[in-house]
Amino acid sequence: MKAYNIMLAGVGGQGLVLTTSIICSAAFYAGYDVKSNDVIGLSQRGGKVWGSVRLGEKIHSPNIPPGDADFLVALEPLEADRWKVSLKKEGILIVNTGEIAPAHVAAEKAEYPADIIERLSASYRLYAIDAASEGKKLGSAKVANLFLIGVLARHIDIKKEAWHAAIRENVPAGFIEMNIRAFDIGYEMHKQNH
Amino acid sequence: MEGKKVLMTGNQAIARGFYEAGGLVAASYPGSPTVEILESIKREYRQIYSEFSVNEKVALEVAMGASFAGARALASMKHVGVNIAMDPLMTFTQTRTSGGFILVSGDDPGMASSQNEQDNRIIGKFANMAVLDPCDSQEAKNFTKLSLELSETYGMPVMLRITSRLCHSRGIVELSDREEKPAEGFKPDKTNFNMIPPNTFKKQFEMKERLESLSKAAMDLGINRLEKGNGSEVLIITSGLVYNNLMELNLDIPVLKLGLVYPLPLDAIRSLASNYKRLIVIEEMSPFIENELKINGIECEGKSYFSFTGELGIEEIEAGLLRAGIFEESRYSGKMGEDKSVPPRLPLFCAGCPHRPVFDILKKSGRKVVGDIGCYSLAGIFPIEVLDTIISMGSSLGIIKGMAKAMKLSGKSEPLVAVIGDSTFFHSGMTGMVNMLHQIDPEDNMTIIILNNGTTAMTGGQHTASSGSYESEDDMHVDLEVLLRAMGLENVRSVDQFKYKEAKEAIDEEIKRPGLSIVIATRPCALRFKIREPHFYVDPNVCIACRNCIRTNCPPLRMKKYEGIEKLKSSINPEMCVGCSVCSQVCPVGAIKRADGEVE
Repeated sequence: MKAYNIMLAGVGGQGLVLTTSIICSAAFYAGYDVKSNDVIGLSQRGGKVWGSVRLGEKIHSPNIPPGDADFLVALEPLEADRWKVSLKKEGILIVNTGEIAPAHVAAEKAEYPADIIERLSASYRLYAIDAASEGKKLGSAKVANLFLIGVLARHIDIKKEAWHAAIRENVPAGFIEMNIRAFDIGYEMHKQNH
Repeated sequence: MEGKKVLMTGNQAIARGFYEAGGLVAASYPGSPTVEILESIKREYRQIYSEFSVNEKVALEVAMGASFAGARALASMKHVGVNIAMDPLMTFTQTRTSGGFILVSGDDPGMASSQNEQDNRIIGKFANMAVLDPCDSQEAKNFTKLSLELSETYGMPVMLRITSRLCHSRGIVELSDREEKPAEGFKPDKTNFNMIPPNTFKKQFEMKERLESLSKAAMDLGINRLEKGNGSEVLIITSGLVYNNLMELNLDIPVLKLGLVYPLPLDAIRSLASNYKRLIVIEEMSPFIENELKINGIECEGKSYFSFTGELGIEEIEAGLLRAGIFEESRYSGKMGEDKSVPPRLPLFCAGCPHRPVFDILKKSGRKVVGDIGCYSLAGIFPIEVLDTIISMGSSLGIIKGMAKAMKLSGKSEPLVAVIGDSTFFHSGMTGMVNMLHQIDPEDNMTIIILNNGTTAMTGGQHTASSGSYESEDDMHVDLEVLLRAMGLENVRSVDQFKYKEAKEAIDEEIKRPGLSIVIATRPCALRFKIREPHFYVDPNVCIACRNCIRTNCPPLRMKKYEGIEKLKSSINPEMCVGCSVCSQVCPVGAIKRADGEVE
């Protein structure tokens, strides 16, 4: 059985807990041992938040030591930039390109780096998705994270059915199909690697 | 259900454990990291009577009463919540418990969401209670059940200490069915429940004896175990999540993994220690286990290698063991998980947050402001930076009074302001408010603003005693203005802070007025009550780039480059804007307008 270390990072309010929970459920259905950190950071909107999921034969700690992540799922580019160092050399970065300016940028005390995606794609295997816009095409920007999970799923030894079951278990009943469509689109995106 | 496996967070596992153990009454006051325990009980296990009480002291008393009546009872709270509950706890612990009683303390090493980092294992010891420390979700469930059994066997309340990381960590948990434990009803025993002298004299001995007998039995509980490793050089002693972090280093060193961290199995450790040259204790925060061993004459090391503050992750444990000379090569040293050169991202008030205009007004007033605990504590950090003190729940009212008195005696009087939320006010601000009636000089200029948003917002929107004002199905409808007047306070007025100009005039007027004034800001929490009005937009041709709107620090607002316009002008992200209108009201030129009818 393979083992995977997945880092997740985003902005408070972006649905990091739900994203973590879907990945955990899929791994659990597929028979992996799983540990996660659902969310770390002030339980409040707008601040930086991060978490982790680890799966494998036997997992002791939910924590991923620095430089040991196989994947970084970043719900926002600046957060990808912040947590990139958590990745292994050959690690894969999956990024939602929708920018959310932090308070220091809004107050013009800091610049939002203009070249994050370019810079990161030079050093990492990177998938960049304008997930909110893609979500709106399906009916709601709220499914954004499912595109990222779809891309992630391609690289993990878990059958698609387990992912679908995990989505059904975790998202509100009325939105299951839309979330599964977003996941499936992400799942087919593997060829568009940078 | 028996044997079924599911994924659960540490918090959910505690709730499950309480359910399986036949728990009947659970009470809490919301505080990170343990909020989800009671929420999970409320949602999943309706057989249990549960409540978010007005504060932790009341929560502990409710659970205590249930235990007196023979029920298995739980009180859960964050570490600093135990301080509030400490008065009843310290006397309750003298009694011989009837129904099993568990106090869940959510400690927060590293202070992810707390105002301090106190180590509540010390409170457990202080209160003569057993303290259990689980290492994952499965143990969180098992230890909850065991705590209740120990509580009944040894006749003492038991503390389950859990840390924030574990509260929010998922793991696989095997379920069991619920075992019903009907309460036998309250059986009066005046020598046991009336805690006054002379009844309390023999209680001192009973507390000592119950801990001594538990210490002797501690190795037979199945939760303190020796894991074999190579060599007789070193024995590591650890507990909780730190144990699992240590396991990730794959060391071939014997480990004594403790589930019960107080009382320690001292005899067993003493005889074990004789087999090893060194004992190394790895624990987060204070040297609790280390000190227990040392004062009992067992030589060991610990905090000389490991930090006394923050979490001990895998990399920190590696670094400490390196310092201890246990191994020589480091895999993680010099590596960082986070790139600190990236611009920070601090939490901020939500779009439409009713606190925003109040703090914009206070910032413009230039006055010194005494803060309190809640979402509005964020007004102490960049870029609002209005609050000058933040200490503990409900403390703002006592602090402002003492500050005013001291400054007056030194000839340095000036108008002072305090802010407190409704949940914090009901929690422990009411007593401070009644205290305002005593010896107030008409010249003591104090303005108290109660931010009545109808919810405990910071912890995810639990109800408060005034939630009924905004939500008719809530059974608590305390009208703050009526309450304050009934207390005997006179200068009380309510303002709608989304009428910015009126609110500003009212607050400025009260700050100017000598004596005590109370202003109630009446808008509800935008997030909890899902408030969404048509959004606003900026007309860049009218905008003069003064940044008054930007200074309100609202998430959708940002200066941006418009085509054909040289200067940066303000802009609003329509998807994030919930239409509170505050930015348009602080705009001096009317550049911000509502896009009527375009709600998504």
